[in-house]
Amino acid sequence: MAMKLDRRTVLKGAAGVTIGLPVLECMLDDHGVAHAQSGGALPQRYGIVFAGQALGGDDHEKNRSRINGELMTREGDFIVPPESGSGYTITTPLRSAQHLVDDFSLVSGMRIPYNESSAEPGDVPAGGAYRDFHGGGSSPLLSGMRSTAASFTANGPTSDQVVAQMQSGQTLIDSLVLRAQPSFYLAGYSFAGRHRISYSAAGSPVEAQDSPQTAFTSLFGNFMPDDSGQQAQHDFDQRSRRSVLDLILGKRDTLLAKVGATDRVRLGDHFDAIRDLERRVSEVPQVAAGQCMVPTDPGADPTVGTDIAGSGSADIGTNDGYSDEFTRSRVMADLIHMAWVCDLTRVATLQVTAFQSHMNVYPITDGVDSPIPLNRGILADLHEVGHNGDTEMRGQLAVSLCLEWHIKHWAYLMDKLKATPEGAGTMLDNSVLVFMNEAGHGRHLNSPSDAEPKTHSVEDMAMLIGGRAGGLSPGGHIATGGAHPAQLLVSAMQAAGYSGDTLGEVSGNVPEVFG
Amino acid sequence: MLAFALACGGDIGQSGGPDGDSPASDPGSNDVGDGDATGDGAGDGDGDGTIDSSDDPDAPYVASDSVARRLTRAELDNALRDLLGDTARAATTLLPEDPFSPYDNDYTGQAASGALIDSFSSLADDVAARIVSDPDLLSGMMPCTPSGPGDSACFRQLVEQLTQRAFRRPMETSELDVYMALLDFATEDNPDVDNDFDTAVELLLRAVIMDPEFLYRVEAGEPTDDDRIFQLNDYEIATRMSFLLWGTIPDDALWADAEAGRLTDAEGRRSVLTRMREDPRALEQLRRFHAMWLGYRVIPHSPELTAAFNRETGALIDRSVSEGSYLDLFTSDETFIDDTLAAHYDLPAPGTETWVSYGDSGRAGLLSHGSFLSAFGKFTDTSPTQRGILIRTRLLCQEIPPPPPDVMADQPPGDDDALCKYDRYEQHRSSPSCNGCHGQMDPIGFGLENYDLAGRFREHDDGLPDCTIEGQGEVPPYGSFSGPAELAQLLIDSGELERCVTSQFFSFAVGRELKANEEQAVDALTEDFVGAGTAFGELLEAYVSSEAFGLRKEPEL
Repeated sequence: MAMKLDRRTVLKGAAGVTIGLPVLECMLDDHGVAHAQSGGALPQRYGIVFAGQALGGDDHEKNRSRINGELMTREGDFIVPPESGSGYTITTPLRSAQHLVDDFSLVSGMRIPYNESSAEPGDVPAGGAYRDFHGGGSSPLLSGMRSTAASFTANGPTSDQVVAQMQSGQTLIDSLVLRAQPSFYLAGYSFAGRHRISYSAAGSPVEAQDSPQTAFTSLFGNFMPDDSGQQAQHDFDQRSRRSVLDLILGKRDTLLAKVGATDRVRLGDHFDAIRDLERRVSEVPQVAAGQCMVPTDPGADPTVGTDIAGSGSADIGTNDGYSDEFTRSRVMADLIHMAWVCDLTRVATLQVTAFQSHMNVYPITDGVDSPIPLNRGILADLHEVGHNGDTEMRGQLAVSLCLEWHIKHWAYLMDKLKATPEGAGTMLDNSVLVFMNEAGHGRHLNSPSDAEPKTHSVEDMAMLIGGRAGGLSPGGHIATGGAHPAQLLVSAMQAAGYSGDTLGEVSGNVPEVFG
Repeated sequence: MLAFALACGGDIGQSGGPDGDSPASDPGSNDVGDGDATGDGAGDGDGDGTIDSSDDPDAPYVASDSVARRLTRAELDNALRDLLGDTARAATTLLPEDPFSPYDNDYTGQAASGALIDSFSSLADDVAARIVSDPDLLSGMMPCTPSGPGDSACFRQLVEQLTQRAFRRPMETSELDVYMALLDFATEDNPDVDNDFDTAVELLLRAVIMDPEFLYRVEAGEPTDDDRIFQLNDYEIATRMSFLLWGTIPDDALWADAEAGRLTDAEGRRSVLTRMREDPRALEQLRRFHAMWLGYRVIPHSPELTAAFNRETGALIDRSVSEGSYLDLFTSDETFIDDTLAAHYDLPAPGTETWVSYGDSGRAGLLSHGSFLSAFGKFTDTSPTQRGILIRTRLLCQEIPPPPPDVMADQPPGDDDALCKYDRYEQHRSSPSCNGCHGQMDPIGFGLENYDLAGRFREHDDGLPDCTIEGQGEVPPYGSFSGPAELAQLLIDSGELERCVTSQFFSFAVGRELKANEEQAVDALTEDFVGAGTAFGELLEAYVSSEAFGLRKEPEL
């Protein structure tokens, strides 16, 4: 028996306040696939987990590695297996996702086009990369729009924001944009755009929250505590919070009237963001119910690591250039999961590491489970692993172990979705979760005439697309003949309900992901 | 390697960044990548095809473009310390990093966002909770003792004191009234909530900390006869002075100067400046400026070594900006060290931390310090290219064009066959296409090669006794040198250094790269600076007492 609920699923709570509810079992029809009241489909979620690294290392073929100082030839370390379809060989980076192999498709053989004969900005093809790897690859990868300079930006809206705009207003926030790596770590430099993967329009970033604690408070701080003894205090706190924000917002007109035109925009934007916070605080007091629960408070954020000298360094310390991105990613994945369960948003991105990440990989490779056991952690930052920063530990296996670490975070969120019942199945049936990394392993974008494979390559790229939203049919390895990565994103967007078939300048999807 | 692409591989970076050696011509430059990928060709970048007069080098300079600048994390922490006595430096923990290029106060990269507002909310909650839960902090901030939860007179006194100092301007009565609503929460009859006067204080603190008037330096000013030029009032000028000289909000004495109308008078600012420079925060602020300018704000060493470097460099900066010629910063024949750093540098142990003569070590001034020599390493070692760019762009203020895109800058230069570093850079020298640019950078770095990434002297490449370091360098076209002492003299003899110092300080002061017509102001300031025997105090005075300092220009949209 379905309760009488309006579109926003709002009802009167015991305390007489208006409360919003997540999807409850009682609201589903017998088949558990649609909202009974509206007859609409269950929410379809769209997520991206991003890794700021490539698939292989400089001047090392996909079967060549140097581990513990020893050069070796091994198959199975590059992410892409030799077989297509189901039952493919699980490669090193996919080991921790092996149990999910029927829940995602591995899509390989993708490339971003570029002009082999000209490095001029005007000669970049549609959806293509400017011939300078750092910066040149980000716009086409994220937005399907060509880059014309070595700038870390997107020249159009990114896939997640297209989906967010499509669903705008249906949930408390349109998208949840998070980043685990809080600092660039390279002494003397700051991110300069490498810390963004979400853009609402050309050159308009959606800034990520890099503090797990603040992200937690922002998402769940407004929830009514279960303990009835604390509810009066909560009500008081929420009213206090609103009154503070209202007070500040009340000053808007007076302040903007006295400043110049430029500041009317600058400060106006700031006031707009405060107003949005006020809306989030006051719009619908959230209650935990059913599977929607307030996650454990993550506590203070892990300490931000200090900068490093840059590049691989024998002097790299275990605490330099690392801010416990492992824990930060886990907390953020927990937040995404519960934000989806509670239907606070249906779109999320988690940038585990920045583009061209200089996160120290020693802490994540010391003692790591490796097919060839490492006699010590890799002494390099993530970017330099691809550039042979540790002369004893380099090539394919070194790169793949770092990639696997990133994939683990994606798999962790996949597991959580799969473990959450929804309707007749699980949340994974109504979600699409893409794992995307920065680059492939092939010809050097800057100088494609170079015969040796490079980490700075937009060729031979691969991505994972997990979940069954929108008719996705996961479970195999799809070797494309040079599909654009944005085509896979179009497929993912379609799975989340996007009716178009373009992203930026790129048209078409990868039809095989729908079976 | 035969490929042309690798010809100057190695030490030239890409994209303005980390790889290095940078394109954007400046190590640490961040002007790549923030949204201007399309390149709008001619014009002033705002797409309307016009040229702002500020971008016209010949347009007479009257005042600098200025907009509401958001406080940096460091400035916010300073302001919270000085406003509330809170020394937790919570902004640095809770807010995202400020981008820097090289100064962290560049307002052109500042934009509001939902994530940022959430972070400010976290900050406000954190600070307010800390203050009201700490009796010492709370009583230190209160101007009165409340007689009870509803003591509106006392609350009003607090509101006035706090908002006035936080917003850096006198408050009108009607503006104060607004905050009295917060006191209602303290007196709300609610048996389930433990509310009292402090509850209202906590809400007030949050309301102040999250207010854009606290978070931004809002300048309005009064219109003048000149189009788009506004005369700032005394309080706005006080704020400019305190953030420039102290990196924080005005104190009571500066407030009194503003109240007395002493700051709108350009000459009147001189005496105020003199007093402000006696405050320890003035030296701290100049230390920060130097650390950002010269790229050693964060360096990859242990906290102990880093702290020792900072004391060494800080002592020399303090002295150079306070007495005699500022050029002593580069030529000083002694340095402030303890036994540990003396051993590090292979200098005589002084027993206690004090000034130690460099003798004939070939060292002089800041260019010999471990702090400076730690900046911009690459490939686990010093980078002659990076050091060359650092000297060229930050101390001579000259631009180096970005490398062509087909340069592979992420690999150390040369092939693996060359044992010694100098030989690995042979490609940079022998290929005309490389040497055109690398010839402007690498020879500078090679003149410092005897000094490793921590500033220690070395005879040969690290771990390679057969690779003797010659340590001979050149700064084309100014001449040859070997080591920091000779380099410093060469830079001084070039005649470019003083103007570059002025230019860097100006950029730090206005919070962005210079507009074209601001070069006129830099010329005039340099003349004053040099005319006064390069006394740094004169540079500060000339800047602060200029007419332009009391004016703002509304940028063309």
